[in-house]
Amino acid sequence: MLTFLMKDLLLFWRDRKEVLTVILLPLVLVVVLSISMAGLFDENQSDNYDLALSLVMEDHQSKAIEEFKASVHQSDRIPDNGKQEVIAGVEEHPPVESLMDFLTSPELENWLTVETMSKGEAKERIENGESNAMLLIPEGYTAQLLKNIYLDQGTAPSLQFSAKETAVEVDMIHDVIDGFLEQLNLQYVVSMSGGEVSMNQVEHPEGGTEVVDNDHSFSLTMDQYFALSIGALFVLFMASTVASRTGIEKREHTFNRIALTNTPGLHFLFGKTCATFVLSLLQILLIFIGSHLILGVFSERSFTFWMGMIFMASVYALAIAGLSSIMTSVSLRLKNPDAADGIFMTILMVFGTIGGNFIPIYVLPNWLQQIGEWTPNGLTLAILIEWLQFEDVSTLWLPAIRLLGLTLIAIGVSTMLYPRRGEIS
Amino acid sequence: MIETIKLRKDFKEKTVVEDVDLYLDKGESVGLLGPNGAGKSTTISMISSLLKPTSGDVKLNGESVVKHPSELRKVLGVVPQEIALYQELTAYENLKFFGRIYRVPKDKLETRIQTTLKLVGLKDRQKDRIKTFSGGMKRRINIASALLHHPKVLILDEPTVGIDPQSRNYILEMIRQLNEQSGTTILYTSHYMEEVEQLCDRVYIMDHGKVIASGSQSELLSILSNEDTMRVQLNQMSHSLVKAIQEIDVIRQVEETGDGIKIIAKKSTNLISNLVKLADQQNIKILNFQMENPSLEDVFLHLTGRTLRD
Repeated sequence: MLTFLMKDLLLFWRDRKEVLTVILLPLVLVVVLSISMAGLFDENQSDNYDLALSLVMEDHQSKAIEEFKASVHQSDRIPDNGKQEVIAGVEEHPPVESLMDFLTSPELENWLTVETMSKGEAKERIENGESNAMLLIPEGYTAQLLKNIYLDQGTAPSLQFSAKETAVEVDMIHDVIDGFLEQLNLQYVVSMSGGEVSMNQVEHPEGGTEVVDNDHSFSLTMDQYFALSIGALFVLFMASTVASRTGIEKREHTFNRIALTNTPGLHFLFGKTCATFVLSLLQILLIFIGSHLILGVFSERSFTFWMGMIFMASVYALAIAGLSSIMTSVSLRLKNPDAADGIFMTILMVFGTIGGNFIPIYVLPNWLQQIGEWTPNGLTLAILIEWLQFEDVSTLWLPAIRLLGLTLIAIGVSTMLYPRRGEIS
Repeated sequence: MIETIKLRKDFKEKTVVEDVDLYLDKGESVGLLGPNGAGKSTTISMISSLLKPTSGDVKLNGESVVKHPSELRKVLGVVPQEIALYQELTAYENLKFFGRIYRVPKDKLETRIQTTLKLVGLKDRQKDRIKTFSGGMKRRINIASALLHHPKVLILDEPTVGIDPQSRNYILEMIRQLNEQSGTTILYTSHYMEEVEQLCDRVYIMDHGKVIASGSQSELLSILSNEDTMRVQLNQMSHSLVKAIQEIDVIRQVEETGDGIKIIAKKSTNLISNLVKLADQQNIKILNFQMENPSLEDVFLHLTGRTLRD
């Protein structure tokens, strides 16, 4: 098998165009994207935002709370000893007032200006571009919300959020409001059960990244994100690069020559698997180290951090080797090597997309994100981002075991698919 | 040494090889002759264990090797029709790779590589990549890759296709040496009649997937013992004359050549006088008659009604 491995590595090394593509291209992409996107996603950019939200208030909160108190007293759903507690909770955090307080809080005032006005005026402002978005709190919102949560009556009301066009800024305001309301609803539900939730846990957007309140965490920068995602993406393509050589070996009849020797056929397959592992590992490490040397993306990180990166890179390279193994077997079964390459490339593009290598995974629907985390690249990207932020060794084991499991399954499948004599197309 | 029994291969509905019986004795040089598409390469693929026969058997020293080909592979060297080499590797690297997978002992591999390179005359080019070689040089390394494990039987599938006459002669001489000096049994396929005539003790002629004749060269030529082959040089070509000659009852084949016609006909005392008479009737002058010894090409023409390169 070592003979096959050496042959595959030598053939790869001789193809200078391929070497440049797999090593230099990702590095160039990391550098170019990091520089070009730096202005767009600067970590401190939220300080530079000046967003305007027009608030239209049609709700009558005080009246609604008074009516709610009366309803609570008459309700059989809430036990008598809990009624006072529910009323106190609502009085302490009335929904609309809490939202207003939040929107005008010091954390948001640096980048969000909220002005209350009539519906007509708000629409005009949006139309003229003076305001980024409008938030309408409809009449009966408080009453409907409280009745729905505490008395299980009616349906949950909605706030009306509108903007002239979709933009990152609009999404940011929407996300902030959504996040707060979820928190508020949670607090009401928990308080009904006698628990308590702090109102200060809402996360604020900061550029395209996420800042989590943790004393021992590191923030994820754009250049780090590009180094990880592009690294994971190009390594993914290595599976196809190595497997596609099988097509060449078939076309040039060297595979037939190998088949005529007494060497077990699986040596050919595992030679490809091992070659993919070695090349993938080298590739991803060169991308990480190269990005670090050029852009300083992982500066001031500990020895443990680098060991974790090497560990995950190795596990990922194994998973890619497994994938390449399947592709090699399939390639031997398909008549047309070009068709095989086309199929592999399509699969890898899908993996790349749902794994978050082309676009940040959070812009995808939840169900797609969950599928994406089952792709080797998606899982690796997610865990590398987490490792980069928290350096928590315990977070590595489960994904590593999942990747190793995928590798074993892939090798098993490829062994079963590997054609016997006379089955090669 | 190697024997095939009723070897047959069907691809979907089409029978490519049908009931082929052939044998190779130790030290023999046997030719497998036939036009393109005759089924030679498929037969070789089955003998060499690359392809499973639909039915029939391949035996090595009396033992079937269809299901367990490992014994056969140990003694067999196969030179495919295609250049089955890694173009990006050097001649030396290719030989080293194939030597290793043929399990040539490590301590002998280097010597074997150098000896083989010397045999094919490319020792001084061993560090050059295959892609920089000429067609003839590639063919020689293609053969060398099949010789590293010292096979007792060497199967060569059209090893001289598309190369210059000099390289062709070199390869033919090399094969003759292997057969005569090393005692290697040779199965040589070609659609070049003269190569088979030059190299082989016995010949199998295949057409449309079947062996249509076999034997030593003299045995095959004796098929034409009741026939004459003659070349007739004319002052001008005439299709009507050809047509008229074909109607003579003893005529088997008439083929137009550059300056006249080639005729295969049953031995007959008045053939020449008939030809002269027909030419006179059409005002065509016969410039020259030449009686020829029949060749394997003539045998093939006789058996199939077409030439090998049709």
